[in-house]
Amino acid sequence: MKFATHPLNAQALIPGHIDTASDHFRLWWSQMMVFVGICIILLPISWLFLTAFKLPRDVYALETAFYFTPTLENLQTIFEHPWNLGNKILNSFAVAGGTVLLAIPMATMAAYAFSRFDFRFKKTIFLLVIASQFIPAAVIVLPYFLMFKQLGMLDTRSALVLINMSIVLPYAVWMMKGFIDAVPLEIEESAMVDGAHRARVIWEIVVPAALPGIITAAVFSFTLTWNEFLFALIIGKQDALTLPIGLISFRTERGDLWELMAAGGILITAPMFFISLLVQKQFIKSLTAGAVR
Amino acid sequence: MRLPIHWLLLAPALIFVGAMAIFPLGYSLVLSFREWKLARSPVAGDFVGLSNYINLLTDDPDFLKVVRVTGIFVTADVLVTVAISLAGALLLNRAGRLNSLARTLLILPFVMSPALIGISFRFFLNAEYGVFAHAIGLLIPAMKDTVWLADASLSMAAIIASDVWHWAPYMTLVMLGGLASIPSDSIEAARIDGATSWRIFCDITLPQLMPVIGVVMVLKTVFALKAFDTIFTLTSGGPGNSTKTLAYFVYEQGFNYYDMGYAAASAYVLTAVLMVMAGFYLRLIFAKDRAR
Amino acid sequence: MTQISLRGLHKVFGSTHVVRDLNLEIEDKEFLVLLGPSGCGKTTTMRMVAGLEQATYGEICFDTKRMNEVPTQQRDVAMVFQNYGLYPHMTVAENIAYPLKLRGFTESQREEGVLKAAERVDLGPYLQRLPKELSGGQRQRVALARSIVRKPKVFLMDEPLSNLDAKLRVAMRAEIKHLAYELQVTTIYVTHDQVEAMTLANRVAIMKDGVIMQLAPPEEIYTNPINLYVAGFIGSPAMNLIDVVAHEGYVEAVNGLRISVTAPRQGPMTMGLRAEDMQLTSESDAAFTAEVYAFELLGDSTMTTFKLGLQSVAVKGDKNIRLKFGDHVGVRFDASHLYWFDNESGERIRSTLSR
Repeated sequence: MKFATHPLNAQALIPGHIDTASDHFRLWWSQMMVFVGICIILLPISWLFLTAFKLPRDVYALETAFYFTPTLENLQTIFEHPWNLGNKILNSFAVAGGTVLLAIPMATMAAYAFSRFDFRFKKTIFLLVIASQFIPAAVIVLPYFLMFKQLGMLDTRSALVLINMSIVLPYAVWMMKGFIDAVPLEIEESAMVDGAHRARVIWEIVVPAALPGIITAAVFSFTLTWNEFLFALIIGKQDALTLPIGLISFRTERGDLWELMAAGGILITAPMFFISLLVQKQFIKSLTAGAVR
Repeated sequence: MRLPIHWLLLAPALIFVGAMAIFPLGYSLVLSFREWKLARSPVAGDFVGLSNYINLLTDDPDFLKVVRVTGIFVTADVLVTVAISLAGALLLNRAGRLNSLARTLLILPFVMSPALIGISFRFFLNAEYGVFAHAIGLLIPAMKDTVWLADASLSMAAIIASDVWHWAPYMTLVMLGGLASIPSDSIEAARIDGATSWRIFCDITLPQLMPVIGVVMVLKTVFALKAFDTIFTLTSGGPGNSTKTLAYFVYEQGFNYYDMGYAAASAYVLTAVLMVMAGFYLRLIFAKDRAR
Repeated sequence: MTQISLRGLHKVFGSTHVVRDLNLEIEDKEFLVLLGPSGCGKTTTMRMVAGLEQATYGEICFDTKRMNEVPTQQRDVAMVFQNYGLYPHMTVAENIAYPLKLRGFTESQREEGVLKAAERVDLGPYLQRLPKELSGGQRQRVALARSIVRKPKVFLMDEPLSNLDAKLRVAMRAEIKHLAYELQVTTIYVTHDQVEAMTLANRVAIMKDGVIMQLAPPEEIYTNPINLYVAGFIGSPAMNLIDVVAHEGYVEAVNGLRISVTAPRQGPMTMGLRAEDMQLTSESDAAFTAEVYAFELLGDSTMTTFKLGLQSVAVKGDKNIRLKFGDHVGVRFDASHLYWFDNESGERIRSTLSR
């Protein structure tokens, strides 16, 4: 019996079992495709990276695509007037940090309630919370704009935090519920038998046990807020500008200042790459768990 | 005496979501029934009933074009993304250093700001100095010297490509998760029964993957309908309005023309479509729950 | 000093009546085993004693004090969970100390308690490890240590040995028995393993479908089962239960085999006989003869199986016997070892000849 050795599931593979020429070819071909895929992912990123270190004249010519004199000038320029990216970085951190600090505890408590308790309308309420992630930003940006205008909160970071919290909460609750579901009920019951009341159980037992999940949800929420564009565009004017808006400020009447945009791009992307690679394993588990469960 | 502690725990999140999501939804709806040009008056105008909606659907050639554009964009975006992520997941679902590396890198496009992606692609597609434009010109001589962003179809291709670049790797991860949950027993049993790889894929893997594919399709449709950042930075809806999707249209009406009532109405049309999608999504997720 | 009373206890989950009218008085310091298959209500009953489930009707009392409304935290019980319920982010020492920490013991008091408890279960060298670094048996000992670190009113154990491999199970059984004897605390132990019940219990309550079938010391359950269910549950191998039709002076089995015994009454019923109460003998000496269906060497004994129609009958024999499939052998037994059961109700029919 000839075994097909082009398995679709790694667990079923007898390691290293390649015997015919056609199998070799298939393997080579699939690895080739993977390589192409990796290139497709990395090339835009690396090109951007390269551009950030080019002098303006090198940017606009293709001959200097790879051979050029690198410069740190761009990274300096973006912090100067009138771009002031430094200010925007602070704003981005403040808004994203504030959102996460406020939203994650809320989401964790709500997720715990959904996970451990049974009550009337539980399913409906849960559905409503989850469904709010389907509300397009477009339909709530207008009311927000008008509301904050009336409150005199336009162009404030607090407004951005409030908005981002509402964006982030449904995702955070959804993810956290999955993670809390995965904490065995037994250890909570154990703690109760040992004598802990509910609040203590949550704080001392459940939260530490679900910590990887909490961190993942926090990173995810941070990412969403850090990259948030539409509301930052509408709400921010001068004081509450975040990095994504900083990026488009490089589009001037003279033309696009690509090298500065690229430098700004590095600034906005590097932290995200760093954090996401750190929490990668958990991140992936949670992303896929949400759809697969 | 049992205190309903679960309400205490839920309250902050519920109040917040209620205030920040439900309230604006209602307000928008009210807005959509009024005429309000912000440039002219700082307060909402008169009640005009459904005329905003009627104008939208019957009197505005722009809007109808927008609907067509959105339809094309979403359909192509979703189909391409699903195809790529499925293929990618199948490719990456085995051991190997290259595959491990690829799986690690999959998260990166997702955490990159869509606005930045739009800007980058715009840079790369520039006719004079863009790497992509030139690389494609090399591969397809007929396309040398084309100005991508001046051509309607190519611009559409560009925004689709940038959105796919952003989301397909993430969806590949989701599909990988789906593949991992297929018990290897069923595949081994099929192999012993004598099935070829292709048959195994069609008869064993694909059917078990359908729920995940369904979720990916619905989610991606939602994200495509909401997509704004990339379009804003890449094409600004142009050339003309050939890449103006509904999401962009709403922004334009509200913040370029300051026609608030009209913008709200168009936003609600978008919301209606999204709610239908939300319905599909929730049914899919909870159908699986019931099946378990 | 804790006596437990369960009176008229009912528990309903949705539409399932899991525990029905359970009445049980557990003596102070008694080791009571709740025995039964999954779904019989034994775990639910124990969880109601712990306060993790609320009784739908009925009363739970510790030392005549009603406990239904008392929350779990205040009941002063200790529990060993089936999957041990260890806190994954705490070290072994911290796990064991947690009940003391909750009660406000000082650090030195906690240390002392932990050391004593760990010593009792032989966990000394593992105190700084995390649960995930331990084997199943070690984790179980941590759970045990945590439950004995203070002196609770009641010990509750929910199938604590079921996740251990066979050899470890035997060793831990002895440990638990010794521990219970040392600590002298009222214990409720839930299991589906009748060997555990037989070896550990002062009294066993066999449960089925939410009701206690029989409540008695292990020996009595073994020698004097109250019905078919109990008879078939206890003993390894299970009691041979043969469908027979009783006539005057003999009974006839399904395959026509006739055995000369006098049943307590005529007509169809079930005859019970334990494997060790029968002996293999020559065909002339036998109460009946049969053809060998299977023969097993158990090391310290042998097990020979016959088929009467579709029913199997197992006979335990000397370890030196050797038989082959198809051999004809005789079987004899003492009539006083027979059990009789009504076919429909499963109730035991007692006669003057048998027990």
